[in-house]
Amino acid sequence: MANHELNCTNAECKIESDGKCVEGYEVEDCPHVGGLSLDDIPETEEQAAPAPLPELTIALASGEALSRVNTSILQRRNISKSIGLIGPNDSGKTSLISGVYDLLQGGPVSGAAFAGSSTLIGFEKVCHLARVVSRGVAPHTERTSRGADATFFHLDIYQESVGITSVFISDRSGEDYLAVTDQISLADQFYEIRRADCITLLVNGSQLADPKMRHEVKAATPHIVDALIEAKAIRKGCRLAVVLTKKDSVVVSQDPDRVQRDFVELVESIIRAHAAYLGDVKQFIVAASPQDCKHVSRGEGVADLLLYWLNLTVSATASVDDVSPDFERMIDLLTDVRSEE
Amino acid sequence: MSGKIHISVMGLPSSGKTTFLAALWHMVREVGANTVLSFDVLSQGNYEHLNVLAKRWRSGTIQQRTQVSGAKAVTMRLKDADDHKVEVSFPDLPGEDFSRMWERRELDKGMLETLTASSLVLMINGDTIKLPAWLVEWNMLQSKMRIAPSKNDAVEWSADLAPTQVRIVDLLQMLMSGELNIGRRRLAILISAWDKVEGDGLTPAEILESKLPLLNQYLRSGRDPWSWKVWGLSAQGGVYEDPDKGESFAETDRLRDLERPSDRIKVVDGGALCSDLTKPLKWLID
Repeated sequence: MANHELNCTNAECKIESDGKCVEGYEVEDCPHVGGLSLDDIPETEEQAAPAPLPELTIALASGEALSRVNTSILQRRNISKSIGLIGPNDSGKTSLISGVYDLLQGGPVSGAAFAGSSTLIGFEKVCHLARVVSRGVAPHTERTSRGADATFFHLDIYQESVGITSVFISDRSGEDYLAVTDQISLADQFYEIRRADCITLLVNGSQLADPKMRHEVKAATPHIVDALIEAKAIRKGCRLAVVLTKKDSVVVSQDPDRVQRDFVELVESIIRAHAAYLGDVKQFIVAASPQDCKHVSRGEGVADLLLYWLNLTVSATASVDDVSPDFERMIDLLTDVRSEE
Repeated sequence: MSGKIHISVMGLPSSGKTTFLAALWHMVREVGANTVLSFDVLSQGNYEHLNVLAKRWRSGTIQQRTQVSGAKAVTMRLKDADDHKVEVSFPDLPGEDFSRMWERRELDKGMLETLTASSLVLMINGDTIKLPAWLVEWNMLQSKMRIAPSKNDAVEWSADLAPTQVRIVDLLQMLMSGELNIGRRRLAILISAWDKVEGDGLTPAEILESKLPLLNQYLRSGRDPWSWKVWGLSAQGGVYEDPDKGESFAETDRLRDLERPSDRIKVVDGGALCSDLTKPLKWLID
């Protein structure tokens, strides 16, 4: 071992020049001898930080569903309507969102025409599993993740008499809304409901037609409205659309008449409890993304709902005393189904 | 009408952008061509790219794909009947650059100048419009035809699966926002491969309404300030041959037999048919 590589922490030791340990240790055994001194370590040269590479690309808007902040920015651009979409799990929220967009793919809907959207990527994603390109067997849509912040889908709609109206449809997990019936303080986080011009409450038609689940649907659905009003998450005077989804499942169920009565009773109970608080309550039946279009058409009922969101008069009745035209058609359809069987 | 006018030609891959430029360059230089815009003089620029395109077009050979990134600047000096001169530049951009805007949500900075042109040509291949199709209706159709549904592996979502009209609407929206937004501009929509769609008996506006209804609604709503007009265009007049595949078609021979190559071109404006490819350009720069 070359002496110049040896250094001793004992100032009196000259091992680096004479090769002998002042304390008499063999070099290998001396606890004070090290291989390198600080002087042996070359000073690192301070390197200038590399200059940032020039940005070669410009990032474009993501096209995904919007955050709360980005929604607020867009809402300043045109007259806007915020739709708070509420429904338990599997009630068809995502299907309804994709159903509205997919109807516009074919042309104007009852005089309401597509004028633009900042969330085309978001819409395309939620529509994918209902499209032939997905190579799926039956149409379905992805579920919204629990606990995630609400996001907004955006559509600019043109109507000749009104001009452009921006519609923002909120999307949050159904489980989050259901949890508010256990703890109403959870409603504090529902900013999309507080800012809504129209709350749209979805009632799962398939579950209402299921004898094992119908009572739970009838009981739990109004409880969500009760809790949100109790928590003042829904603004006083806010409009409410109660929507029976999955009409395709209802018309082929064992007893569509009973589903009709159950739905009317459910809407009636909400009106009875909150007529003074809510601005308006209307009922709708839709088949936004049906599994089968033998008895319903794709997107059936969605146009009426869109017009209600846009605040126009629609054919669906607000009165719980009347049987709505939609229900009459449903009974007719049932007759057709039975005669075919 | 005078000075330098910058016109950008846009379109998804295989929309006919290069064929359009090839036919245009041939037409404005063809002896005896009767067009609203005609060739004025050559400038100091390099015309090799245009000449190669026009040569291939005249021979009835399909154009090779435009290089996959970056623009080839193409400039033509034209004049109208009143001898008003104009220099029109067309960057020949590959369709992949436009696809990337939709799929990767980014834009090459080099495209900024092209995409901020005040006059735009948007090419849409009328023969390859991808319409949205829904499983529920597809299943119904298969059932009626007694076809058993095939069991395929499900396909994950990706942006390139989107319908043509959605991609084009988003492209136009992008051009009206952020750094690309220069306010009101002119947009000439050319539905290319018109020889393949004319059998439907529809006008270009009717094709827009029936095959691209989302785009039609977007443009008609006037939300974004486009001054737009739609034409049908067959820049080849029929099928061209791919020499790499050893193709040889009687239809291409018939096109070659025409006395003037520019007679192959069909430009449809409403119900009117002509072969003047410069008409949409005249509308853009007026």
